[in-house]
Amino acid sequence: MFYKLIQTIDHFRPFPKAQAHCDVPCGIYDPITAQINALTVVRMMDLMANLADVDDKSKVEFQNSMSRYIAVKEDHAEKAKHEIRVIWGDFIKDAHVEKYPELPGLVHKIMQLGSNCRQTATRENGLAFVEAINQFAEIFWSLKDIKIKKAKAPYAPGLEMVYPVL
Amino acid sequence: MLKIIKVTGNSLSPFFLPGDYVIVRTNRSITQAVKPGATVVFEHPKYGQLIKRVLTNNPASKTLNVIGIHENSISSHKLGPIPYSDILGKVILHIKKPR
Repeated sequence: MFYKLIQTIDHFRPFPKAQAHCDVPCGIYDPITAQINALTVVRMMDLMANLADVDDKSKVEFQNSMSRYIAVKEDHAEKAKHEIRVIWGDFIKDAHVEKYPELPGLVHKIMQLGSNCRQTATRENGLAFVEAINQFAEIFWSLKDIKIKKAKAPYAPGLEMVYPVL
Repeated sequence: MLKIIKVTGNSLSPFFLPGDYVIVRTNRSITQAVKPGATVVFEHPKYGQLIKRVLTNNPASKTLNVIGIHENSISSHKLGPIPYSDILGKVILHIKKPR
C-alpha cells in the first residue's frame, strides 16, 4: 500500500535514483581477453606498416583500410585497458598486493602503455603492451594457484603469450 | 531532512532490489557518526549516485569506506574512500517493491 503510494508519486514526479552499482559477483575473470586485445593492437600496427609502403596514398582504398586499422587499434588498446581495470578493481584484494607488491606499478604501466599504443603506431610500444599484460596474466594465474605455460599465439603476429595449464 | 530515492541495479541484492525505494536522512552530523553496517547514499565522481553499505568510518580522514552487500562484490578499492562531503545521507527506511 505504502509502496503503491510512493510509486504513484514517483510516476508523476520521479525521485532521484541511486545505483546499486552493477557488480554481480559472477566471479568470471580471465586476462586472456586483455591479452588478445593487446595482440590485436600489434597486428593492426603491422598491417598499418605494410599498407604504408603503397605508392598511391590518395586512393580511397588506402584511406579506407588505414582508417579501419587505426580504429581497431584504438578500440582494442582501450578494451585491453578496460579488462585489466576490471580485474584490478573487482578481483585483486589487499592480500594479493601484499603477495605481489609490484602489481599496482604493473597495472599503471599497462594503462600508460595502452595509451602509448593509441597515440603511436610504434611496434615496440605494442610489444611492450603485450609483454606487460602477459606479466599481469602470470601473476593472476599464480594468485589462483594455476600453473602457466608460455607459447606462441597460433595466429599473426604469433607473439609469445601466457596461458593457464588447465 | 528526508529524501526518497529509488534503487536501481543489483549489487545490494537480496536486501535492496531494483525498484525498491529508500528514505534517506540527510543530516550531516548523522552521516559523520554513521556506523559500519549502515547503508548510505553518496555521490561518486565516476559512478554517480550510489547506494552502498558502510565498511568503516574514518573520522581522521573524514571519509567512509563502502562495499556492496555480496561478499564478492566490487572492491572498495575501486570506489576509493568516500569523503563525508559526498555522502548524501543514511538510509533510515527501506520500502520494498512487492514481489
